[in-house]
Amino acid sequence: MKRQIPLVIVFVFGTLMVIQYFVPHENSEIVKGFLLDWIVIIGIFALALGLWSLVQVSIDKINSRKENWEYPLVTLISLTVMIFFGFTSHAEDASWWGYFLAIAVLLAALWMLAQGLMGNAANRNVKSLSALGLVIVFSLLAIFDGSWEFKFYTAEGLTNQMFVHFFDYIMIPLQATMFALLAFFITSASYRAFRARNLLATLLLISALIVMLRFTPGPWGEYLAKTSSWVMNVPNLAAQRAIVIGIGLGIVATALKVILGIERGYMGKG
Amino acid sequence: MEMISIWIAAILTLGIFSFLYKDNPLYKACEALFVGVSAAYWAIVFYFDNIYKKFYEGAVTAEEPDYFLWIGAILGLLFLTRLVPKIGWVSRWPMALIVGATAGLWMVGYFVSNAMNQIGNTISNIIARDELTGAIAWGETFGTMVILVGVVSGLVYFFFSKEHKGVFGATAKVGTWFLMVTFGASFGYTVMSRMSLLIGRVDFLLGDWLGILR
Amino acid sequence: MRNSFEKTRASRALLLVFVCSLLLLIVSFSTSVSAQADNDSDTPADSILALAAPAPATDLKAFDTDNDHGHSITIEWTLSADDGAGANSVISYRIMKSESPDGPFDSVGLVPLGATSHVNSSAIDKNSEGYFSDNTDYYYRVEAMTTNAALFSSSEIVGPVQSSGQWFNAGLVPVLIAILIFTILTMIFVQLAKKGMDLYVRPLAGIEAVDEAIGRATEMGRPILYVLGLGSAADIATIASFTILGRVAKKVAEYQTELNVPCYDPIVMAVAQEVVKSAFIDAGRPEAYKDDIVHFITNSQFAYVGAVNGIIMRDLPATNVYMGKFFAESLILAETGAAAGSIQIAGTDEIPQIPFFFVACDYTLIGEELFAASAYLGREPELLGSLKAQDYAKAVLLASAIIGILLINIFPDFGETFKSWFEVID
Repeated sequence: MKRQIPLVIVFVFGTLMVIQYFVPHENSEIVKGFLLDWIVIIGIFALALGLWSLVQVSIDKINSRKENWEYPLVTLISLTVMIFFGFTSHAEDASWWGYFLAIAVLLAALWMLAQGLMGNAANRNVKSLSALGLVIVFSLLAIFDGSWEFKFYTAEGLTNQMFVHFFDYIMIPLQATMFALLAFFITSASYRAFRARNLLATLLLISALIVMLRFTPGPWGEYLAKTSSWVMNVPNLAAQRAIVIGIGLGIVATALKVILGIERGYMGKG
Repeated sequence: MEMISIWIAAILTLGIFSFLYKDNPLYKACEALFVGVSAAYWAIVFYFDNIYKKFYEGAVTAEEPDYFLWIGAILGLLFLTRLVPKIGWVSRWPMALIVGATAGLWMVGYFVSNAMNQIGNTISNIIARDELTGAIAWGETFGTMVILVGVVSGLVYFFFSKEHKGVFGATAKVGTWFLMVTFGASFGYTVMSRMSLLIGRVDFLLGDWLGILR
Repeated sequence: MRNSFEKTRASRALLLVFVCSLLLLIVSFSTSVSAQADNDSDTPADSILALAAPAPATDLKAFDTDNDHGHSITIEWTLSADDGAGANSVISYRIMKSESPDGPFDSVGLVPLGATSHVNSSAIDKNSEGYFSDNTDYYYRVEAMTTNAALFSSSEIVGPVQSSGQWFNAGLVPVLIAILIFTILTMIFVQLAKKGMDLYVRPLAGIEAVDEAIGRATEMGRPILYVLGLGSAADIATIASFTILGRVAKKVAEYQTELNVPCYDPIVMAVAQEVVKSAFIDAGRPEAYKDDIVHFITNSQFAYVGAVNGIIMRDLPATNVYMGKFFAESLILAETGAAAGSIQIAGTDEIPQIPFFFVACDYTLIGEELFAASAYLGREPELLGSLKAQDYAKAVLLASAIIGILLINIFPDFGETFKSWFEVID
């Protein structure tokens, strides 16, 4: 029974969507729209599960005090702080002290709470009680400090100065730099390709060189540009097409196997 | 404030780059910070976009609430039953819905775009003609023939249930040559754009941070 | 020796392919029709100031657009006598619409001279711009416009006409037939395979390497890293990857090796936990399963990459497996893994990333091979049977391409019809 119901759901909704493809009527589009909306909403609940996993793994690492245990602490603090920014708004000309004090109290409360719930058996009660105390202090700050407030129903947090700053000066540079590492890795990968000596590797290398050098100026440039556009438009196009067709059939076959219940690996049973 | 922010951004940039030398505490800290901030950022954005805008405004506060959206929320709650070991198996229902619905959605779509349309594109006149004079354009004709050979031999390579032996195997081998040329071409095509990413970061470090380049 | 033998075979095949193409060339050359005649229409003389109203468009027809979601009416007409001929004064046609034959008429579209049809349509959302409802009477007329905005002439009014959505898209009949054939083919081979038909599959190096790689990890006492990519649980590549993960996890449990599965998507994480858990139960070691084997990191592409890079450099996994959807991060991961000395096996259906995996990994499953991998690893007759069906589909497509090319070169008209069966648009 436990295994049958999911297979029935897969079959019903899979077939429904296949039929939907052939039905242009607006009702069919509405059904599709709802299904896609549901998937998005399920995704949000799943995200909560994901964050919980991140927090749990981090706390475990910290508590184990194994090598590099300090870094998950950084993750947890930045996670909490950024979420706090996202759900609060700060009055424009008010002082920031109360805001940061609240964050500090919140972090301490959460930490005590985590220790109280998951830590060692020793003085769990003390930790839980201190967590409770800190939560009360935090609530008082939230109620009586007029310089900031919680905003769960308006997206004001997204324009909160700190939220924007964290995005602009922490997330963006980290993201761009991580992406830029590719410049080095593509160089080392080229070197790796260069070292391999067989027919296939040589073919790969030659076509890579031709396309790479397509902007070369000078008398060779025009010739290289022409050759490279031929390589892109003829042999490249041909093999791309073969790969695309193969992938298409692979996807269709896998989807069909999933709908018919032949492929059940995603449910933990092959 | 602006100054401090740029310094922070610069230190983080250097921290990530330092990974190229070796794994080190600064990189580890940058990585941990990045994970925390980005996970929180997306959680917040998804919350306001979907839970709040789509669900709360659509199904709760709207003048004509969309009661269908509640089903999504119920499915979401079912998904959370994973946290309770005894009834955790219920969480497979929303999973099954996602997998089933999208399998159905992709199945025909990919068949049309990847299989049928590609064959449609391959069916063309072998003989290319000059548009003005009507004379045979030998270069292009050669090109269309090479494309045909490439598509056929490439597809032959992807046959799984036939041994790659004899003529069949040799054709598959020609297919691998085409694959290699494609891999090389797309590798070569990407190199420059990756270099420009690096230039962008160096520009930030030398320009915005150190003020050497302006 | 073996090499030269293969070389002769390869050259023989090349020769064969070449000769076939040459034959094709000759056949099509001798029968192909001459180049099409130019049918450039005369362009109107620029800026002629029309003094009289132009002749109106005639034979106006309005009807519900076929094979659509409704809310769409197609209007067709015959060109005005002064469009590209006569006084040559028409520059455009304005399509006017009303709910009553007596008006008022509103403009719903403007098309340039020479056009003989227009589709008046709206989205199905009531609040969208230009929305109009199905099953309601509408009247149309078309105005032939000149450079002088006041100088135009109206066609007769057509109507009433109603739009409605269809319950079947007749344009997709070839797709429906093809999908049905494919489904039946798959079912037949699955049944045959279940009954014990011997099914050969050619070896795939990347798959054979999996067992060996797990053995190596066990010997070295180092973990195995399994990356499911950036796809969601709704991507077929990710679903294929789940099956492979199941096999890997089962072996890992048997060999008592460590496994680490960092995830980018929370739903993927949940599914992967389920997969790994079942694999451990199957292997008879449920006690070895912990929820943190499969864990979530972040759904930000580069933060995820940063963290996985950290895992690779710090845990030094003996084997890294990358299966699923990958984007720019493919090379960052694969190069870091290569630098850390891990054996790497990759597979993706993201074509631009295949070359990077190919260069930096020890084994790469190219495109369709990723989807075939689950059948290879499981060796279950059902899955192998469907591989056979996939091959038949490929053969049919290949044959269609070749037949189509022959047809279009020998019988151009029929060839075009044949080609159009493959050019259905979603």
